[in-house]
Amino acid sequence: MKRDPTDAIFSALADATRRQVIRTLSEHGPATATSLAAALPVTRQAVTKHLNALAEAGLVTASRQGRERLYQISPQPLTSAVSWMADLGGRWDERLAALREHIASSKRRK
Amino acid sequence: MESIEREVTLPASPAEIWPAVSQPEQISAWFGAEAELDLRPGGHGVFRWGDGTERPVLVEAVDAPRRLTFRWLPFQRAGAGKVMTVPSTRVDITLEEVPEGTRVRVVEGPAFALRARPVPVDSALEAIGS
Repeated sequence: MKRDPTDAIFSALADATRRQVIRTLSEHGPATATSLAAALPVTRQAVTKHLNALAEAGLVTASRQGRERLYQISPQPLTSAVSWMADLGGRWDERLAALREHIASSKRRK
Repeated sequence: MESIEREVTLPASPAEIWPAVSQPEQISAWFGAEAELDLRPGGHGVFRWGDGTERPVLVEAVDAPRRLTFRWLPFQRAGAGKVMTVPSTRVDITLEEVPEGTRVRVVEGPAFALRARPVPVDSALEAIGS
């Protein structure tokens, strides 16, 4: 089964700790698993697992820094998640405008 | 950004608006897709768009003429028959009587609930088969 990239993004963001990781990275810039673990109430091991999940969804990228990996946010997928939400809202704007028309025309018919 | 919320106030009573938001042939008149809906909790439905896309739904709550809640199941069928996963959001439509008529409120989301609230496997399989 093919996976919609937006679905992978929302799926990765379904976890509160992973959202916290994203927030921390966006507020403090690139960080290692060790420094993230120090800033968050989870172990380094847990942070590494979450970072891997986020990397798989394309939400973070990693580069080498000495013996550690430095993680940073990859903004494009987040932007596409935000625009997915915006699309959703736009579709309901259209539907509710059409519902208004539909109700008005059925009232006219009465 | 977990959910989107939209509201309109329409000059009609909830009883007059209810059929428009709950009867498939009337939904099809404004939704932008042809609707098929078994209007009871646990009932299945499917929305078909002009481009051939089909999205199955599961009805979660029906309280005429006040509330209809359904969930988009986490996959859709494209025109060519390809199945792909999509975020499974819940749509909650409520009708509230106000002096000007009825306030129609739509909440869709949360987009993040994909794992927190899994769709029962039985419903998903049944919907694929339907």
